[in-house]
Amino acid sequence: MNQCMAGGKPPKDEEQRTFSHEAMTHLDHLYRVALYLAKESSDAKDLVQETYSRALGSYRQFTPGTNMKAWLTTILCNFFFHYRAQKKKWLSVEDNRADGEEPSDYWERLVSEKPGPEAAILVKELKEKVSDVLNKIPEEFRLPVVLVIMGDFSYEEAARILSCPLGTIRSRLHRARKLIYDELKEYMDIQERSERKNEVRTGGRTY
Amino acid sequence: MKCEQAEELISALIDNEATEPERAAAENHLRACPNCRRVYEWGRALNREIRAAGAGVVAPAGLRQTILSNQPAAPAEADSSEARRDPIFRLRPLVRPIFASALVLAIAAILFFMPPSGQPISLTALEIRAKIDRGEIPLQKQTNTDELHAWLRHSVNGEFGPLGYDFSPLNVKPIGATVQEVGGRQILVAVFRGNGLSITCFTFLGTEGDAPKNAAAFFDPETRISFYSFSRDGLHAVLHREGNVICMLVSDMPPEELLSLVRNSSPHKRHPVHAE
Repeated sequence: MNQCMAGGKPPKDEEQRTFSHEAMTHLDHLYRVALYLAKESSDAKDLVQETYSRALGSYRQFTPGTNMKAWLTTILCNFFFHYRAQKKKWLSVEDNRADGEEPSDYWERLVSEKPGPEAAILVKELKEKVSDVLNKIPEEFRLPVVLVIMGDFSYEEAARILSCPLGTIRSRLHRARKLIYDELKEYMDIQERSERKNEVRTGGRTY
Repeated sequence: MKCEQAEELISALIDNEATEPERAAAENHLRACPNCRRVYEWGRALNREIRAAGAGVVAPAGLRQTILSNQPAAPAEADSSEARRDPIFRLRPLVRPIFASALVLAIAAILFFMPPSGQPISLTALEIRAKIDRGEIPLQKQTNTDELHAWLRHSVNGEFGPLGYDFSPLNVKPIGATVQEVGGRQILVAVFRGNGLSITCFTFLGTEGDAPKNAAAFFDPETRISFYSFSRDGLHAVLHREGNVICMLVSDMPPEELLSLVRNSSPHKRHPVHAE
């Protein structure tokens, strides 16, 4: 994507400076959402830059006292969806398993045990694995996860940002957990067992 | 309650989004079902891991500064930085003088055609768009594109009418229309909204000299049409000429996207015309 084109005027009054200052406190959050949308750091940076360009150029449309983080996130998501519709550039190669067969034994498999000798390594890799899995699941499930779990938005706020019913957010999060489970089960089980062992060793204390 | 019924409630409980009755029902089930209790615990652990993974993602060093510096300190500076991205600056040195001469002639032409007093009509159109956004200009409700075009054409006694842009890929729909008079010239205004976008289509009689003098010009060899792109106060516009009619789209979408939209959705793209 080309570099963004800032259409807004420079900060010239206190109101705009205050807005700009507050908006910049959400930079990490916006970059995070952008990265999980675009998947490429360079595209994520462009997305964030364009979001700020639009937001600072139309800051008067923001109602002070309302949720600026949600407002900025909405701008970012709208721009991404629109841009992709226009350019078809960011169409990610999605894993389409969500549209396919659903694992019927999800709950049974969840309670099964599967020990392995590589436990320590797997636990160490878990955080990286979480990011990989998030990028792997289809966008329609990934976005509610990124907004609600990672971004601390309520279901209602996420529904507003994505312009969908609240029930959709709720069901997609549920479905997302199942999909993530399928990918992470081994890691999570091992970590849990590892934590249990630590609890036993330390007389039940947890760290 | 069966486990299948409890699944979604447990998911909402993990996110602290279950209603009180749902919470009570889910907790009752969890007390009686060790399998679902394990699911609940796993879900909470997953939330922690996802948050931890998110916390590890921070904006790259320099992005903050880039964003702040991209808010132009002065309009001239912004124009300059944009211009450097323009293809003309990538031309070979030998070609530059030719373009420079052409640019001087173009500016002279624009100045010649520009109304002697006040700003170009295209910039006034941008102001009209801003007023519409603020609700200061009422619109004649029009939700059918054909009826909207017919109404606008009828408003100027059939003298001219808006182009039949195809906005269907954007899923924007006609909202309303108005006719504004600027310096004795009628401007047909059509407003399309939807999918978080707002596009305003201006049509008036004129020449390419109605574009602002600092507009960036692009020539489309396929349709042999010149497009003029310019921005003001967060609004972007692309203008081009169809015979003696000027068509101008205004939106808050980025200029390059708007240019792409105009090129790809204009009737000429669908039915290309050749050199006049």
